[in-house]
Amino acid sequence: MYGAVKVDEEKCNGCKVCVFACPDPNVLTLLKTKKITVNQDRCKACGLCASVCPKEALTVN
Amino acid sequence: MSKDFLRISPAFEDIMPAEYRELVASGPYGKGYGISDLGSHKELLEEHPLCAGCGLALSLRLTLSVLPAPEDTVIVGSTGCSALAFPQVALHNIHSLFGNQNAVAAGLKRALKLRFPDKHKDVVVVAGDGATADIGLDMVMQSWFRGELITTIMLDNEAYANTGGQESGMSPKGAVLNMAPKGKKFQKINMPELAREAGCVYVAAVSPANPKRLGKAIRRAILVAREVGPTYVQIFAPCPTNFKFKPQETIKRIKEREKDGTYLTREYISQEAQEYLAAMEGGNKDE
Repeated sequence: MYGAVKVDEEKCNGCKVCVFACPDPNVLTLLKTKKITVNQDRCKACGLCASVCPKEALTVN
Repeated sequence: MSKDFLRISPAFEDIMPAEYRELVASGPYGKGYGISDLGSHKELLEEHPLCAGCGLALSLRLTLSVLPAPEDTVIVGSTGCSALAFPQVALHNIHSLFGNQNAVAAGLKRALKLRFPDKHKDVVVVAGDGATADIGLDMVMQSWFRGELITTIMLDNEAYANTGGQESGMSPKGAVLNMAPKGKKFQKINMPELAREAGCVYVAAVSPANPKRLGKAIRRAILVAREVGPTYVQIFAPCPTNFKFKPQETIKRIKEREKDGTYLTREYISQEAQEYLAAMEGGNKDE
């Protein structure tokens, strides 16, 4: 894929709203650090996660 | 399916695909995960070929994450967009002929009941709106009339999406699609009411804009279908490719439709199902 979503780790508070909005499995995961990590190879850059993020921590490039 | 089947023989550990090894190490089998555990374990769905921003893919992913017993669940699918994702699902699944999904599921459920009389085997039909409300309506309605113990889940994207965008019975009135340029001339079929009248003991219409509610509805539908009667869940999953909106607007669009009343989320529980659920959910606060 040509685009992928990026996480601003300072803004992310680990609320997991984006995990429930992503149509693709195993892309957004919440590890023990309490911040969202993105599997950039599998992201289709649809931007659904960015549209629901309450902290605006996600951006699609 | 026994959980032991999922173990890898030590000699093959290094040649098994990485996804399979992850599934064995951190898959959801036998753990009783709910929707709030998403993101912390390996999901049953793998990388699928559906479009970016697909509401159907999101609904399917949420549906698979709330199955009460994934190792004892068989999914029966039918032709449509959802069928493209089934080869990537780590569950037993059957792809039936277009429209036959409920007939296949009814036979399967009876056979499993004979083979495993002391065990709950959940048979879940996951099909699109074309297979459920148009082509397979006969089989769907007859399975409800007979009171088969199966769960029917309809992923309602309001069109025949993977054949180029023909109108379906579930398209809203006036919908203009690639292969329906004049706009649809009649109303969207009121499937939840049909299901209620046809004998379903639990009926819900939900959407992925509210994942907790969706999860609860599906879990209830599967639990009720174990003992009480047939159940039906309709999930609204808009299609950005055929309805020509941007992929990031899928959830916004669902919320707009819910707000202006053209898609109603609702739940109907019969008296019997209510009593059964009260007994089930009383002991387990998680559900």
